[in-house]
Amino acid sequence: MKCGTGIEARQVDELFINIDPIQAGGRLTADAMKAVVAYGDGYSVCDNCRKPNRLDYISKPPIAEFHKDVAKWLNMDAVRTVPGARRGFQAVAHTYVKKGDPVLLTTLSHYTEFLAIEDAGGIAREIPANDRKLVTPDATAEKIEAVKREFGRPPVLAFIDHVDYQYGNMHDVAGIAKVAHQYDIPVVYNGAYTVGILPVDGKAFGVDFVVGSGHKSMAAPAPSGVLAATAEREKEVFRTTAITGDVTNRKFGIKEPEMMGCTLMGVTLVGMMASFPHVKERVKHFDRELANHKIVMDALLSIEGTKCLSEYPRKHTMTRIDTLGSFDTVAESHKKRGYYLQSALEERGITGVIPGATKVWKFNTYGMTTKQAEHLGRSFVEIARENGIAVKG
Amino acid sequence: MTFQAMYTLTDLRVLLRETAPTHEFDAAQKAQAQRLLENLERQVGSLKQEMLK
Repeated sequence: MKCGTGIEARQVDELFINIDPIQAGGRLTADAMKAVVAYGDGYSVCDNCRKPNRLDYISKPPIAEFHKDVAKWLNMDAVRTVPGARRGFQAVAHTYVKKGDPVLLTTLSHYTEFLAIEDAGGIAREIPANDRKLVTPDATAEKIEAVKREFGRPPVLAFIDHVDYQYGNMHDVAGIAKVAHQYDIPVVYNGAYTVGILPVDGKAFGVDFVVGSGHKSMAAPAPSGVLAATAEREKEVFRTTAITGDVTNRKFGIKEPEMMGCTLMGVTLVGMMASFPHVKERVKHFDRELANHKIVMDALLSIEGTKCLSEYPRKHTMTRIDTLGSFDTVAESHKKRGYYLQSALEERGITGVIPGATKVWKFNTYGMTTKQAEHLGRSFVEIARENGIAVKG
Repeated sequence: MTFQAMYTLTDLRVLLRETAPTHEFDAAQKAQAQRLLENLERQVGSLKQEMLK
């Protein structure tokens, strides 16, 4: 079935259990799907835009209220919606980083943080993760001192991923922020894998900014996200325009340069808004998600030779797994080579593993029902047994 | 009415997602599917009346 010339209707999540590591938290709620149907037209949320003509002031649909609610929910003072977490990083970097400034991030940081620094002319300096793939406050202090020696001054900004994209490990953001603040370094909390997944309290973490991804973790269409700031930082990153046209003498009211005026419109914004009540509720039940994840992990780790490369026990539902000693041992002799695992999973109604991956790969169980988690765990064990890989118990 | 019908279909879509890949419904899910399909039939019936009169 097609929904446009050459565009197949996508039914991945209707037909399969989808374990793609980056897609799990962005699946739309029913309310978001309904909102998308009604607000598909380009400027659909702007019907009732009145002075001062800025997106976050619109009260019908309740966009202004949504902004206030999100700020309160994250325990921050101000929020703007942005077209993806990366645009949040970019706005903050552009505010604080000047050419040649050192900026702190980590060896597990997402590439978009690097690009935000590069775009602002900064120089990236990475805090190394330890052997357990964790970034610590001690390592942060050491790196800041190293930067001071190298540049004669501390970094001007720090990006810290609460849960990193590589291992899904949870890092001590509060401890790291405390160290950074001893050097007066503003801290950006990257919550791409946490905001909308588990409870996030910006003030408790002691961070200056919280960035979340709508399409990764808030059950929203892409590209969407949020940038939240403390009252102190709000004035800086959300400063209003001061420019004037020399011929027309035009001014642009309270538009914000870092936001390029209005940000999310149409389906991205209403999708995120429609999901928000459900998202607020679901973060309270992250323990259920971890329980489902454990069902799958127990099954995978019962397969001889399989290792969990992420911290264990798991604190997040996205996990990096090493199957070099299990599924990969079959790949060389199997007629489908490395594609046999993906093929066997698809036969069982499971998708989302990178085609051909049998060595090191990631998966995410977020949003699954217990029945689906059991099906997934059972499928891994069945595939192992069918291919002569030993299973414990 | 158009939205109501589409939204009912959306609820059915979500039911398919929640039960993928086997789509084996438990008693509550069967009852929900039945209710939604009956609503949809009613909504399509009303659309026929309104649009083809």
